[in-house]
Amino acid sequence: MKNEDMLMHVRGTSRFIDDIPAPEGCLHAVLFTSPVARGKIRSLDVSKAAAAPGVAAVYTHKDVPGLNQVGHILKDQPLLAVDSVEYIGQPIALVVAESRRAALLALKFIQADIEPLPAVFSPREAAAKGLIHGKRRERVTGDLAGAYARCKYVAQGKLASGPQEHFYFETQRALAVPGEHDTIKVHASAQSPGAFHHHLAEVLGIPMHKVELDIRRLGGGFGGKESTAVWITAPAMAAYLLKRPVKLALSRNEDIATTGKRHAYEYDYKLGLDGEGKILAYEIDLYQHAGACADISPAVLGRSILHVSGSYNIPSLRVSGVSCRTNIPPNNAFRGFGVPQGTLAIEAALTHAAELMGVTPEELKRRNLLRDGDTLPYGVELSGVNAVRCWDTLDKQAGIAARRAAVSAYNAAHTDNKKGLAVVPVCFGISFAQTALNQASALVNIYVDGSVSVSTGAVEMGQGVNAKIRIVAARTLGIPVDRVRVDTTNTSRIPNASPTSASTGADLNGMATKLACEKLRERLLEFAARHLSCDDPAGVSICGGAVCVGEKGPVMTWEKLAAAAQWARVDLSEHAFYATPNLHYSVETEQGRPFAYYSYGASLTEVNLDLLRGTYTVEAVEVVQDAGESLSPEIDLGQVQGAVVQGMGWATMEQLRYAPDGRVLTGVNCYKVPDIKFVPARFEVTLLKDSSNPYAVCNSKAIGEPPLVHGLGAYLALVDALRGVRKDKPIPPLPITPERAFMYLHGPEEGK
Amino acid sequence: MTSFILNERLISTGERPGLTVLEFVRDVSCLSGTKEACREGECGACTVLVGRRGADGAVSYKACASCLLPIGDVDGCHVVTVEGLSGAELTLVQKLIVEHSASQCGFCTPGIVLSLTGFCLGAKKLSYEGAVDALDGNICRCTGYVSIRNAARALCASLAKMDLPPAKRLGELAAAGVVPAYFKEIPARLARLEAEPAAAGGNAVLVAGGTDLFVQKPGQLIDSELCFLSRRPDLNYIKIDGGVLRVGGAVTIEEFRLSPEVLLHFPALEKDFLRHSSAILRNKATLAGNVVNASPIGDATVILLALDARMVITGTGGRREVPLSKFYLSYKKTDLGCSELVSEIVIPLLPEGARYHFEKISNRATLDTAAVNSALLLTTGPGGAITDLKLSAGGVAEVPLLLNTESFKGQKLDAETVEALARAAEGEARPIDDIRGSAAYKKLLLGQLVRAHFASTAAAGEAV
Repeated sequence: MKNEDMLMHVRGTSRFIDDIPAPEGCLHAVLFTSPVARGKIRSLDVSKAAAAPGVAAVYTHKDVPGLNQVGHILKDQPLLAVDSVEYIGQPIALVVAESRRAALLALKFIQADIEPLPAVFSPREAAAKGLIHGKRRERVTGDLAGAYARCKYVAQGKLASGPQEHFYFETQRALAVPGEHDTIKVHASAQSPGAFHHHLAEVLGIPMHKVELDIRRLGGGFGGKESTAVWITAPAMAAYLLKRPVKLALSRNEDIATTGKRHAYEYDYKLGLDGEGKILAYEIDLYQHAGACADISPAVLGRSILHVSGSYNIPSLRVSGVSCRTNIPPNNAFRGFGVPQGTLAIEAALTHAAELMGVTPEELKRRNLLRDGDTLPYGVELSGVNAVRCWDTLDKQAGIAARRAAVSAYNAAHTDNKKGLAVVPVCFGISFAQTALNQASALVNIYVDGSVSVSTGAVEMGQGVNAKIRIVAARTLGIPVDRVRVDTTNTSRIPNASPTSASTGADLNGMATKLACEKLRERLLEFAARHLSCDDPAGVSICGGAVCVGEKGPVMTWEKLAAAAQWARVDLSEHAFYATPNLHYSVETEQGRPFAYYSYGASLTEVNLDLLRGTYTVEAVEVVQDAGESLSPEIDLGQVQGAVVQGMGWATMEQLRYAPDGRVLTGVNCYKVPDIKFVPARFEVTLLKDSSNPYAVCNSKAIGEPPLVHGLGAYLALVDALRGVRKDKPIPPLPITPERAFMYLHGPEEGK
Repeated sequence: MTSFILNERLISTGERPGLTVLEFVRDVSCLSGTKEACREGECGACTVLVGRRGADGAVSYKACASCLLPIGDVDGCHVVTVEGLSGAELTLVQKLIVEHSASQCGFCTPGIVLSLTGFCLGAKKLSYEGAVDALDGNICRCTGYVSIRNAARALCASLAKMDLPPAKRLGELAAAGVVPAYFKEIPARLARLEAEPAAAGGNAVLVAGGTDLFVQKPGQLIDSELCFLSRRPDLNYIKIDGGVLRVGGAVTIEEFRLSPEVLLHFPALEKDFLRHSSAILRNKATLAGNVVNASPIGDATVILLALDARMVITGTGGRREVPLSKFYLSYKKTDLGCSELVSEIVIPLLPEGARYHFEKISNRATLDTAAVNSALLLTTGPGGAITDLKLSAGGVAEVPLLLNTESFKGQKLDAETVEALARAAEGEARPIDDIRGSAAYKKLLLGQLVRAHFASTAAAGEAV
């Protein structure tokens, strides 16, 4: 089944925040933000701006009615700066005017005297100075010294990966409408209904039951709308104080310059293998470039730490990680949530090790894949591992060894171009690593005409979660899917909802929906048996939108059943709650069972590098992804394709440049994401056959994030091609832009 | 007053001509299907179709970025937004997008619908490759494009039998459900709609394609008096005149690229200009505008420099001609007086046996500004001696450069000469570190592009 929203998308009738007709008297808010990366605010005068034409109000931290705080994990992020600023783009004042243009013009009249202070932009420098969010984390598994002593090969070095802008098409925005009795309704492009609901109430200084957050859909989220509440609480505060509707929408360049990104990482790695290529030991230190506030960075780092071993069995492992506090806008969640970064290091280290051994990386990887009975470094003994199955399915389809031979033959025959190849296995833990978040509720209402409305905490952002929820509800109730509608995500119907992230949207909310529908079905079956005076209540069923008794076939329509049940005073509404069982993790011991299950995959990527120009094309990507018993293969294929290309963008062309003072120089005219011509001609995605999964709704598996890791294949294949030409330089950092490839081939040695 | 047909409806508005079509349709007409996602023509979410009535009475439709399109520029035109496409039934393009699940979050989808519909209306041949070219300005962050390509492929397959030229295709397209039936009435309706002549006020800002102007200063332009060159039919021509190609000042990049004259005399330019920008910008941006814009990295400029083009400049003081190589005075400063405009670009036809080649390197291979670009025009005499050599370079100085190659004339074209030329080019380059790349990269890259010119022209033999 398809995502039904498409029928509106193609007509342009789907409503995003800006498409909601502006309420009468709607005002527009714009943020005045810090021009310096770190400084002390000596004085701030907004009086001239407040008197500018069309301006309704200018607010500073003093005007925040409740708590001037939007920190997500730590309370370290003021909504409006108080006496210091920590990054360029940090909100200092909020200008509210009759039009966005008037608000923008008024910005010029704000006088801020800020004394610049030394700022830090390098994560390693921040770590050395002790500028970190939370604590340094470390886990040691096994006997490292003993293991290294047995190693024949040790690959050691430094690596780095770059930031990635979400480039969701709908920028950060919200519309806040005040109601009676000091209530407020906020329409927002936001992934975290529960958390943002809480932030709104805190900032406004009112109880949560006076705040209603309503989310219809997002024009893309990718994690970027999960944790930072600035652009939702700011217009809400203005609307609350002015008693008028207020809208805030970032322009694209404001969004690029001031919102969080995928975290850049730096790494120190040391990988040890025995003479046969079996991994014995691995040490990996992660330096996460977090930015000025913690935001959600410690959680992202935590997930990286849980995934540093990738898809491999590593008996002795030491991992450490620090979330480095630097003076750039706080980075946040991005599809994959630290897993792509964590996986990168082991994948690159294996490439390095393969060079030392004189074997192909594929050979090493296949040998070390996870299998049933292996124990992960945090103490989970695995079962139902599909790593080898995915790899072998890919091998069968793509012929890995033959492809490697063809690449070698091509390279031997060509001097101007070289091909590169990489096979990437993916193992991605599913569940929020923060155990508390693994909960969801659903509200299912059956109306007397037989139509069904489902509300959950899941947010639709194009990933098709609503379609999956419809399928689950229709299947469970035994009715056609067109009888079910998924309503908006609304905090008055579904309180305290977890974010739609960690690929868990369908797992958690689908399961809650299933539970609610099961209760309703049981209740209706019991009623039907009574109503139809059946001797054998067990013989009554609902299927295909009708009540069936025994072998007799349909005896009553679903619509009539609903009406009759309501008339007989049967409750046609049900709320259900689901909490993923058996999850636990201790940050102190770094041990536990953080994930309900794992999603596996394998992919092959082939690139062709032009040695003269440093340019390249990705020629082929072939993916096998484990989606369990897919609820909708169409949706899941689309998720895989989209995630892979997004990952390839991160690995190749997506780059941000900063000025020495910390300003983001990259605007929309130079932040390039993959376009239609970048995508390889040969792009095949297969969902793993005969896979099931008892740990998620209807035996499906999460699909949103895991395939993004395949994007690493483009990086590794380029590394393969580049190292085929020269090995005298260290492995280049990700992304490998054409400039980086060119300089690797033709530029001077590093540091010269 | 500005008058145009918006979908089915006649609009006569007193809104300022500098208001963009995007703002007009969303804020004034309350049609929210056209999305704003970048405001710089970089993403395609705001794509609309502009149908302009030609001298033959037929309406030709072009997909354009409405965020860079002032309403004054569509006076007398048919503007189509996504709301103007489907009635009770989805159009063929819409059906295929749904069928192939080529939409996820949906924010880019209306633009993709419009670009593909514009392709059906305007492309000479309805080939899959052409459909992909038509979508090269429509970014999608969700789908990974595989499903979009599948929808495009299916579209071309279902229209495979359509072989009428664009101007005569409207009836068939309506019958095939690509456009609603009301499109058939549009040519007659536009004929009754008289556009006002282009304003000639002395202070008016000249708007050629506007695709860069409206990125740079949209706030200023809304309050300015504007003069649209798209309403100067006298500047819209491409003709061969003796040994030169004459291109009017209002000719768009796409018209130029696909004109019979260019295809015949400069066949390589069809592909080279495909890399200039995306379809939705090429349909609006003009060749002369790109030159006057004076970007140190403009693709058109770098190509025209090597082709030894001359600018015909007209103004109150009369008409004069300036070689393009003398047109740039310093960064973003040209030899153009305040009341003057480039009314024509004169490009000498290639001498017998001349070899031309263009190289462009950008971070993303398509729809991106070059880090460095370069063009070469080479003629060799008997024995392989260089008789003429024009080598241009962008991105390596404050203006586009025509490199000094005098000393190479008469030399034998061999590996040694190429190497010396590459080094000379590197030596002349004075690039800076910027968002397109480091100075060190650009300097080395120019040398490599010079080597690439000869590697490619050697392989291509005598072909242009």
